[in-house]
Amino acid sequence: MELLNNLALGLSVAVSLQNLLYALLGCMVGTLIGVLPGIGPVATIAMLLPITFHLPPTASLIMLAGIYYGAQYGGSTTAVLVNLPGEASSVVTCLDGYQMARKGRAGAALSISAVGSFFAGTVGTIMIVVFAEPLTRMAQKFGPADYCALMALGLVAAVVLASGSVTKAIAMVFLGLLFGLVGTDVNTGAQRFTFDVPELSDGIDFAPIAMGLFGIAEIVVNLERHLERSGAIKVGSLWPTREEIRRAIPAVLRGTTLGALLGVLPGGGPTLGAFSAYTLEKKLSKHPEEFGKGAVEGVAAPEAANNAAAQTSFIPMLTLGIPSNAVMALMVGAMIIQGIQPGPEVMTKKPDLFWGMIVSMWVGNAMLVVINLPMIGIWVKLLTVPYRFLAPAILLFCCIGAYSLQNSTFHVMQVALFGVLGYVFVKLGCEGAPFLLGLVLGPQMEEYFRRAMLLSRGDAMVFLERPISLGLLITTAALLLLMALPNIKKARKEAFQEEG
Amino acid sequence: MTRFLSKDFLSGLMFIGFGLLALYFGQKLALGTPVRMGPGWVPRMLSLILLGLGGLICVIALVSGGEQVERLKWKPLTMVTIGIVCFALLFERAGLLPALIVLILISSLGGEEFKLTEVIGNMIALAILCIVVFKIGLGMNISIIRGVW
Repeated sequence: MELLNNLALGLSVAVSLQNLLYALLGCMVGTLIGVLPGIGPVATIAMLLPITFHLPPTASLIMLAGIYYGAQYGGSTTAVLVNLPGEASSVVTCLDGYQMARKGRAGAALSISAVGSFFAGTVGTIMIVVFAEPLTRMAQKFGPADYCALMALGLVAAVVLASGSVTKAIAMVFLGLLFGLVGTDVNTGAQRFTFDVPELSDGIDFAPIAMGLFGIAEIVVNLERHLERSGAIKVGSLWPTREEIRRAIPAVLRGTTLGALLGVLPGGGPTLGAFSAYTLEKKLSKHPEEFGKGAVEGVAAPEAANNAAAQTSFIPMLTLGIPSNAVMALMVGAMIIQGIQPGPEVMTKKPDLFWGMIVSMWVGNAMLVVINLPMIGIWVKLLTVPYRFLAPAILLFCCIGAYSLQNSTFHVMQVALFGVLGYVFVKLGCEGAPFLLGLVLGPQMEEYFRRAMLLSRGDAMVFLERPISLGLLITTAALLLLMALPNIKKARKEAFQEEG
Repeated sequence: MTRFLSKDFLSGLMFIGFGLLALYFGQKLALGTPVRMGPGWVPRMLSLILLGLGGLICVIALVSGGEQVERLKWKPLTMVTIGIVCFALLFERAGLLPALIVLILISSLGGEEFKLTEVIGNMIALAILCIVVFKIGLGMNISIIRGVW
């Protein structure tokens, strides 16, 4: 019964005119950047963080969430029509989606992916509703040591599942943690690494770092690469044939399940979900030779999976305050800007925000089906905007956004600095996401660590004596050990090669 | 020699560099005791871990080689960075419009194609968009041209 009450509360918040408008705005912006290659949800949300400061908390989170899942829809449109993945998560959709388009079945591919995504989004939302309360209740029993261990597990798991070298990614996490320490020490008031710059005494602002690392560095890399564009393709009839529907339904169901499960894992999320769903379909199919030549399952399953995963990746962030990927780290940043400390208290102290946001995700998913299918022609036209127009525009919005954080050009300078750093990271093959996760969790983790040590009178054994903390740390260690095993190392390398 | 130019070896050096910087600038922070940690405890711990990991990455890279760093193209990076810095310097002193013009001009020079008419068109479109969104829409307190509007 309580669940229904909560949902009713959420519905009343979500359907208020203001929140509906922001959900729509978020979905539109999300679809837009999903369609445009060269700018992703991470950069966009980072750019818009300063603006959300002017909005009420619920509206701003609803809008940012809309951008995230809107980008999943938009990304698939370009993947199918022009063989360009707008988002990392739609790379697999290109494989069979574009082949379907070449056979004249673009419309069918798009409507299957939109309806499949909507179904997956609905299931994902239900999962959040069901798991939110028990997880929150569990998290409320956590002591400082347990929290510290939980964050360690979250960070390590995020690193293990993300692509690339594990050692480098872990080093990036520690670098992020170190950057997170800049500013005034909460316990003693001492200035740490502030170099007598008054603007740094509150810590390095999160938004300029994210804009620099993901926005500016991405632009520079794209300018180097010279993005190619191919001509748009005709959409054709939106209606799938009966045979296509028959093949798509089980694929959507499997994709949804797999995506929803993988989304909850730290480091999981849409990209992992989509790739795994595609692999699963190929393994299960009676006609694996059709894959890569326009198999309906190869579109339906990954599309459902990426959307389900996009939804369920909110679960650890909303209930435990632990972001599982870069976008969730930005959502944590957005909440902190609004003065809300993410964690189990959000649900009990701000039930309207919590449930309103969840219900609005479902509303937003419904809006996306409407935005995407009839308006597909408009989105396709946008693809013809060359990157040389886009790059200065993104730069400009980053600069103005950074300035508006605190009306200070110091933040704009920071964007430039972190842009250079981000470029160095890209060139050295170091990923930005682990850095961002470390940065967000750094201050909290230090706080919990010091409190745990204070409570145990300086005995580090406290982390091993508390059962919850011990369990979490054992899992963390096991994950790290697993990665060192030669077989898994090899399999992991192969899995990521398939991605690239 | 090429081993020293691999992505892994250089990133290991980068981590060591950050670790050393943090150690150097954090040396004055009080360490405290494990029970009551001072402001310097966690930074010291993190910089030592970073040094260790950086060293490990370097050693692994030297033993197993690895991918070479791609050739750098300096133009996009320098143009974009100079553009942002100019924007920051001009924004409060001269206003949004001059800062916008300089940013778009310089950053467009960083791309491969540069057509002046296109760039001017882009400037006009973005100027209108920014004024409508930020000045009128969000009501931000920014001057378009310092002293004029």
